[in-house]
Amino acid sequence: MNSDDLAKKLAILADAAKYDASCSSGGAGKRSAGKGEGKGLGSLTGGTGICHSFTPDGRCVSLLKILMTNYCIYDCHYCINRASSNVARARFSEQEIIDLTMNFYRRNYIEGLFLSSGIIQTPDYTMEAIVRIAKSLRQDHHFKGYIHLKTIPNASPALQEEAGWYADRLSINVELPTSQSLALYAPQKNLNVITGTMTRLDDRISEARAAKKPARYIRGGQSTQMIIGADATSDKGILSASVDLYSRFKLRRVYYSAFSPIPGGGSALPAKPAPLLREHRLYQADWLLRFYEFQLDDILMGADGDMLDLNLDPKLAWALRNRQMFPVDLNRADKSLLLRVPGLGARSVQKILSIRRYHALRWTDLIKLRLPTQKIRPFVSVLDYSPPVRLLEKDALETIIQPARQLNLFENAS
Amino acid sequence: MQTLSIREKPGFTEWRDLARDLLQREIPPEQTLWECGAQGALALGSTPCAETREKAISSFRVSRTFLELCELASRHQDDQRYALLYRLLWRLHHEDRRLLARATDDDVMTLARLVKAVRRDAYKIKAFVRFREVKNPHGEPCYVCWYQPEHYTLELALPFFTTRFRNMRWSLMTPYRAAHWDGEALTLEDNPDPSRYPAFDEVERYWLQYYASIFNPARLKVKAMSGQMPQKYWKNLPEAALIPELIRRANPTQSSVNPLRPARNTAPQRESETPPERADPQSIRPSGLRAAKSDAP
Ligand code: SF4
Repeated sequence: MNSDDLAKKLAILADAAKYDASCSSGGAGKRSAGKGEGKGLGSLTGGTGICHSFTPDGRCVSLLKILMTNYCIYDCHYCINRASSNVARARFSEQEIIDLTMNFYRRNYIEGLFLSSGIIQTPDYTMEAIVRIAKSLRQDHHFKGYIHLKTIPNASPALQEEAGWYADRLSINVELPTSQSLALYAPQKNLNVITGTMTRLDDRISEARAAKKPARYIRGGQSTQMIIGADATSDKGILSASVDLYSRFKLRRVYYSAFSPIPGGGSALPAKPAPLLREHRLYQADWLLRFYEFQLDDILMGADGDMLDLNLDPKLAWALRNRQMFPVDLNRADKSLLLRVPGLGARSVQKILSIRRYHALRWTDLIKLRLPTQKIRPFVSVLDYSPPVRLLEKDALETIIQPARQLNLFENAS
Repeated sequence: MQTLSIREKPGFTEWRDLARDLLQREIPPEQTLWECGAQGALALGSTPCAETREKAISSFRVSRTFLELCELASRHQDDQRYALLYRLLWRLHHEDRRLLARATDDDVMTLARLVKAVRRDAYKIKAFVRFREVKNPHGEPCYVCWYQPEHYTLELALPFFTTRFRNMRWSLMTPYRAAHWDGEALTLEDNPDPSRYPAFDEVERYWLQYYASIFNPARLKVKAMSGQMPQKYWKNLPEAALIPELIRRANPTQSSVNPLRPARNTAPQRESETPPERADPQSIRPSGLRAAKSDAP
């Protein structure tokens, strides 16, 4: 590993991978090289994995996230690597990827590898190469770090299933929320084929877990990514698709990626990027669905044209539409109601529950817990405080949430 | 007034022995003065004989959790930590055995703050250590790092390294202590010499290239980055030298975005020593800055 060539390839193929939203190295349990095995390298620490660095876009760097190649025979309209695009192309050799992974890992730069690729020759040809790389890392190098592979669309089921033996996580991108949009923008892909793969892999995962001697098969589960704002699907449509994916295929994560126009993209695509704020709101809603006991209807009930309010985070928006539920008495309310208070995170809720077993909460306790008192002021009551009625009126609330709005607008501009 | 001196770093065992003795002799926290790092001065009555120690243990038991929290908090660089711990011990004994459950008590909150800072610092070691490869006299590769934690947290991170890099030879040096792993056993060394940190690693340039390329300039969020990777840690990170340039290129108009005061050196000791050789940001160009979307399958 010492040529400028390699640095150039790395520049192109990391750059091409950076729009992939997933950077997590978690969810695959713990693992380490067995004792007495003289050659293994690596471990999984459990939990959410380790972020080894952060780039100025605020994202965690935990995996070597690269494409094997950005050449592609497909022509998905929204993709910079589509066959008809004229970007600079490059292709790593299998050995180069293995060496980079091992060398980076030994220096503690990364938790592992996230490998994806454009399609060269045929989907199977490409998928075979990806499987070979993962297999070699596991079997020749006894690599026990994290491996996340992206399956190649339309590759044969046998290859996709084999990848599961080496990968801690597999992602199968649905790309777009509806089959119509997919037909329009990614004509070579097919939603039924994609969900068929998810079903098969989910079956294999269940089998491996249920086996008498449970096998380690894609312990980190499956994830997927959807592009937001390339087609006309509403937020409700997108979130319904997510709910469906979470429940039918037990996906671990659905990632949302705001569309941005690419040079020479298809004319069917919008000319303007989707607001990053929309992507952010979708993640917030997704979070409420998974961890805050919200239902899709709660989140979108009364929403404008089935879209989330860009100006308000979905939890606050829900609270404003359900003013009659407030103020919530922090000393009495049950957990699910506490989770609905804007400004109270799951951890704060846990703390409140444990403190109030010993004594009733007062306002000073909230300050000491470092809760965002300005934000929760209209929504909560404690032993020595309840909000003046006028605070829950619309105008008063508007002034309280105003600072939050400005902040969001600023974020959007960046 | 009793003056107690803790000589070790971080010094938990010393504190525990002294505290047991003080508690045994019913000396209230107001009458104690705790000093850290004083060389040589033996604390008054600091060597309780085995007998009294045993008595102290049996007359008062504290929960394992409390001791674990004390162990963590004792790693904080705050000079007041031992006084705080003894006060807590005293109050547990004389005031309320369930004191720790009172999450809004001032002492309990301070303890929680120290513990949290220490845990975070230990996590950051695991995240931010950057080994450089050298060959030892036998021509075998060794991986060496000079790392400056904010607190005395090296030992907390060691199980992670001995597990993950069990089959490598490595040395992890911090200003107060180094750990050397030869593939089988760990050796500790106090006050190691940072000049043993190699100035160069041939793979590091690829890491810098990767860091610059994986950054998405269309989504500049400097605050989010510095929240997770505060500047006090940048001195440990070769890639941090690229940050100002990456920000400037991503946002040439907004020169006021400047989180980039020179990093403050907050390591407990040997503050002047920083790792030699930093990357030249000019040599690493983030490529393909188009606001384009690539979405491989
Ligand atoms: S198959 Fe993947 S890499 Fe190829 S054009 Fe479609 S999205 Fe891009």
